[in-house]
Amino acid sequence: MAKVKVASAWLDCCGGCHMSFLDMDEILIDLANVIELTASPITDIKEFSPVDVGIIEGSVSNEHDEEVAKSLRANCKILMVLGDCACFGGINSMRNLFTIEEVLQRYYSTESTTKDSKIPSSEDIPPLTEVKPVNQVVKVDCYVPGCPPSAKAIHYALTELLAGRIPVLPSEMMRFD
Amino acid sequence: MGEITLTINGRQVKGKEGDTVLEVCQANGIDVPTLCHLDGLSDVGACRMCVVEIEKERRPVPACTYPARDGLVVETSTERLERYRRQILELIFTEHNHFCMFCEASGDCELQKLAYRYQMDNVRYPYTFPSLSVDSLSDYLVIDHNRCILCGRCIRACSEVAGSHTLDFSQRGWKTLVTADLEQPLGESSCFLCGACVQACPTGAIFSKLSLYKGKTDECQQVKTVCPACGVGCELNVLVKDNNLVRIEAPGLTEPRGPLCRMGRFGLLEPTPPRITSPLVRGKQGELEECSLHRAVGVIVDRLAGVKDGFAGMISTRVPSETLSLFNKFIGEVIGSDLIDTLDGGSYRIITEGIRQFQDNGRGLDIECPIEGILEADCIIVVGADPEKTNPIISTLVRRAVSQRKAKLIVVNSSRDVFPLWTDLWLKPRAGSEGDLLSGLARILIDKGLVVSGKASAKLIKSFSRYRMGEVVRTTGIEEERLELLAEMYGQAERGVIIYGEELLRTNDASSITTILNLANMTGNQFGDRLRVISLKPRANSRGAWEMGLAKGIKQDKPKGLYLLLADERDSEELLSWLKGVDFLVVQASYQSPVTSMADVVLPSPIWAEREGKYVTMDGRVLELKRVLQPKDGLPQDHEVLIEISQRLGHKLT
Repeated sequence: MAKVKVASAWLDCCGGCHMSFLDMDEILIDLANVIELTASPITDIKEFSPVDVGIIEGSVSNEHDEEVAKSLRANCKILMVLGDCACFGGINSMRNLFTIEEVLQRYYSTESTTKDSKIPSSEDIPPLTEVKPVNQVVKVDCYVPGCPPSAKAIHYALTELLAGRIPVLPSEMMRFD
Repeated sequence: MGEITLTINGRQVKGKEGDTVLEVCQANGIDVPTLCHLDGLSDVGACRMCVVEIEKERRPVPACTYPARDGLVVETSTERLERYRRQILELIFTEHNHFCMFCEASGDCELQKLAYRYQMDNVRYPYTFPSLSVDSLSDYLVIDHNRCILCGRCIRACSEVAGSHTLDFSQRGWKTLVTADLEQPLGESSCFLCGACVQACPTGAIFSKLSLYKGKTDECQQVKTVCPACGVGCELNVLVKDNNLVRIEAPGLTEPRGPLCRMGRFGLLEPTPPRITSPLVRGKQGELEECSLHRAVGVIVDRLAGVKDGFAGMISTRVPSETLSLFNKFIGEVIGSDLIDTLDGGSYRIITEGIRQFQDNGRGLDIECPIEGILEADCIIVVGADPEKTNPIISTLVRRAVSQRKAKLIVVNSSRDVFPLWTDLWLKPRAGSEGDLLSGLARILIDKGLVVSGKASAKLIKSFSRYRMGEVVRTTGIEEERLELLAEMYGQAERGVIIYGEELLRTNDASSITTILNLANMTGNQFGDRLRVISLKPRANSRGAWEMGLAKGIKQDKPKGLYLLLADERDSEELLSWLKGVDFLVVQASYQSPVTSMADVVLPSPIWAEREGKYVTMDGRVLELKRVLQPKDGLPQDHEVLIEISQRLGHKLT
């Protein structure tokens, strides 16, 4: 039987949800028998190719994040989002209480330890946007909230997907912290 | 109240007339989700989580405000209702800024619990990200408006339970905020820091600084005990984790004796002076050094041999009755001395003398009414007392009587109005003339015919009639019109209560207490067979100690030796000058203090949380303390030390 193809991406995040994914520990070995992980921070493969399941960690906080989200959405049949940032905006969305100018000023001018600090600008740097949960830029099929979600919750969601069902986390596994 | 029958979710269930549909559901084990409802507070139907479908009603209605009627047909969890509840939760989450990942209420939050229950894994509405502040200027309380769901439970708790109504909504629509007074920071407002709002808040919007991140409710053990802070005796629910105090709550927040006050809820969690962790005796150079209990007891036994007469015992009335009883036997039988007193014995002697002069029938303190008498009062006179400082629960009950029952409040205090903004009348007699004021009041009541015939003897009436108003006015400095106003208010009251306390007792005038009792008796202000009079006893177990006969008084000016069981008293500096002349001083105390520094022998003592036993509250109820914390290893309980000393003196103390 062909392995289920999975790709993952991390947007504006701490990486903790991917770490929680890895916290499945020895279960990963069993999963590796049924899942083929293609593009992912874990495999370090950068280019997306068509997959069955796309997994996104992190919120959409700049134009690059939006491109990545749209690209993975176009390449997958089912999109799952991991963690509070991807589901709700998460802790990143505290930035939305201020304007982008205020945030950049505070970061590069008042708090910086670099001499003559200036706000970097270059066409290679994607502009910051309002922080959004992933479902405000692309259609999302499955949500696994948590900060991070437990390995158990991630495993549950994957197992359900592998069985052909779109899961909604049961209340006991639901966490916002 | 008649019984009614409803059909809820297809099942016939019973309720009482006057219930809401929610109350009928709760009584029959039907779970309806709520947020703005809190048992014991009025219901407002603000959150709409409890919406139910009622036959013949055009749209879902909140169960918490809908009156239950016989024959109603109700559905509580149709697919439509569950969808609406999920929508409400999503709307709430997008209205303010709810960041669970760093909130200390996470895991203990009713909003979060409902979101989990409704499997809210995403939110369909755009977030509004309003810019909201955090008010953390109060000594104990923080309001984080970001986490507030505007349920109003804190407002209703502050109004209905604390009687203060400091909190209320300000502004309108989606700019609505919960604020104190006229949008003052809480720490600069009329807030009394009772913390009823903290306990009422379903989220982390209002919380206490003292309990931050110390433990979630399900990580803690919960122990019910009694508050040691004052004589009212409120029940505490103490949460403990790893032998540390996490948080203190009221088991029955909305019950009359329920709310707790800043002393019990927060004061008990404040940092304390360093503990006495070992017995101490004077070393060769004269300074106190650690030693074994055996050695310390040895020093005591040796010195006692020479000081049989003039050895006195003094004990704190924070200590439970079992320890008091043992101490009584220790001083009386083992030491063989009749010089024994409590730290607050002076208060006892004046109160009992005052009562004895009123009626010498051995009823003693039972003449007074329970504190619930305040809640039903229509007139309250507070004489020589500052309840907000000494027994804040009493002042909560006074405020509730005033705000909910429109009771008249009169303060008689020679230095300040102890209920500013709440009093109808503040009389400021010259210091020490309170007794004359009260006698003058009696005279006016008699003159105006406001006394109940048959209640006072002719002799008593004659003795009050001898008071000349001119004299009273001259001595007290109060105009006659103001005394007449007081007489009108109190004389016409049907459930008038007089509360007095330490400041009156310090005038050393037992007859003023007799007058108070006479005033209540003459005007028919009775509570059953008791009088509507309440004296604020100084300590948690003052009454227990006094009724056991420990407050005999130390008649000798300076005892040769003193055994002072200080326990966990704080602020004992007023004893210092008196203790200076004592030749041999033994202090059994929990904390280091100037008093322990003066002692010849220091013995350790447990704090309130480490003790068990009985308290007698100021109005005579017997309550059971339970141990909340394990004492540090090796530290003895108070009675173990007394038994040890007795054994070495050849006595068996039980």
